[in-house]
Amino acid sequence: MWFSVCVSLILSDMSCSVLDEQQFRQGCQLLLQRSDQLGDGWSWEAVQGSEEGYLRKTARRSVPSDWGPLHDQEGFSFHPQTLCDSTGHEKEEQDPAASTGSDFLSAEEQDDGSYTVTDSSSRVVQYEYHILFSCSYGAPVLYFRAFTLEGKSLALEEMWSTIHPNYRLRLQNCPLSAISQQEHPLLGQPFFFLHPCRTEEFMGLVLQAVQDQGRPVNYVLSWLSVVGPVVGLDVPLQYCTPLHSAVSLNSTKPD
Amino acid sequence: MLLHRLVAVSPMLLCACFCLVSFPPNLLQLLLPRVSYLPVVTDKVKKHFLKVMRPEDVEEMWFEYEGTPLKWHYPIGVLFDLHASNTVLPWNITVHFKNFPDQDLLHCPSNSIVEAHFMSSIKEADSLKHKSQVVNDMQKKDHKQLWMGLQNDKFDQFWAMNRKLMEYPTEDGGFRYIPFRIYQTLSDRPFIQKLFRPVSPDCNAHTLGDLLKEMYPDALTNDGEQKRYQVLIHGIEPLLETPLQWLSEHLSHPDNFLHICVVPVPTD
Repeated sequence: MWFSVCVSLILSDMSCSVLDEQQFRQGCQLLLQRSDQLGDGWSWEAVQGSEEGYLRKTARRSVPSDWGPLHDQEGFSFHPQTLCDSTGHEKEEQDPAASTGSDFLSAEEQDDGSYTVTDSSSRVVQYEYHILFSCSYGAPVLYFRAFTLEGKSLALEEMWSTIHPNYRLRLQNCPLSAISQQEHPLLGQPFFFLHPCRTEEFMGLVLQAVQDQGRPVNYVLSWLSVVGPVVGLDVPLQYCTPLHSAVSLNSTKPD
Repeated sequence: MLLHRLVAVSPMLLCACFCLVSFPPNLLQLLLPRVSYLPVVTDKVKKHFLKVMRPEDVEEMWFEYEGTPLKWHYPIGVLFDLHASNTVLPWNITVHFKNFPDQDLLHCPSNSIVEAHFMSSIKEADSLKHKSQVVNDMQKKDHKQLWMGLQNDKFDQFWAMNRKLMEYPTEDGGFRYIPFRIYQTLSDRPFIQKLFRPVSPDCNAHTLGDLLKEMYPDALTNDGEQKRYQVLIHGIEPLLETPLQWLSEHLSHPDNFLHICVVPVPTD
């Protein structure tokens, strides 16, 4: 009940596609609640002594070492696989040799019976994602950084190679949305970020489409579902399912 | 105007930093413009020290002062005011060609990265001042002119474009919001940047003092107290009664931001 009341608060304030800081915090709290239910790993990091803060999440991804064209010679398409579930436990069926780059293909059965083929000459990358608010653009901004398992941080070129080729093309055609290095406004350390100057533009379209259908909208969640996948951050569909049929991301049966 | 008098008396104070770059045991004296950025003005440094180094020892260049890596994406004047405002000139900084501290500094493989940062600041400032309308109406060549004016130290070329970014509807009394950043020396947080209007709801002009009261009240001295902090813009302490709109139009850096450094008053 409370969930839907908060959501309609956000809906009625969405007269334009620009966010204010209070709306941002509301959106984050809702996302956080859902994340807690789903075990998706987001946390709120507060700036000491204030209401200011940001959302934070870490995740591991297995990225093909050489991500070339969309389809390789055999016609398979490659997709980034999440090696670990959100609690950090490695999935048992994953071949441990996969992360060390041995040369064979492994097929992994998915819940619905289909197979996803992974090229096992891939590497494991540890990501850290932060969602901050930009008062200059009235929008959330995604900051992120990545490390190898040995703790070495990825440089910009290496980061580009972890982006799916499809997204890479799109980003390169639109330099304003490109990934670049930036100082984290609260921590002062180098992060990568997706420039927020175009957010108002695409969020305007998203909000219009959703509001035309009379559905409630969480700006932060909608925004994240657009930008997150570009940098390997999945936003599971379960975020949008109603409260009473909440399922954890780990289980296959409803509660 | 007070500003012009100051400029006439001590142009170096407002405009440049007298700097000593050391790569022990070598030294190089430079006069660095406050409003520019380290990578833009230190080609000379690289060329000079490369003469005494083997190519295999040369990686990405970076600067450091008393152990603190210097953030190249901050204007030089801001770095000076933050780190060395009350030290004896010349400002003695050390250059390194190895062991780039990638947990502290952004990479800067070429001047095009500096240009991208500079333009990004200009766009962000215009988003605050004009909802990005002025900068979006400019053509690509106009953006380029802003950058080239800064890079080549061509005041007229720069201001031919920049004056458009300083305009506002007369009836508004000022910009929509003031682009500013307040830097503190004693905090993990790199800077304070929030929304602040130049004019109050009852049409009074907000001052520098009003801004600090809202954003960083500790910087202000209460009656009867001893002064603890200096509030520096381009190395000078403007009067707290100065209207913020005026400061934004006249004392912003070329990136269109007011960079305000709050540093402890020297104790000696």
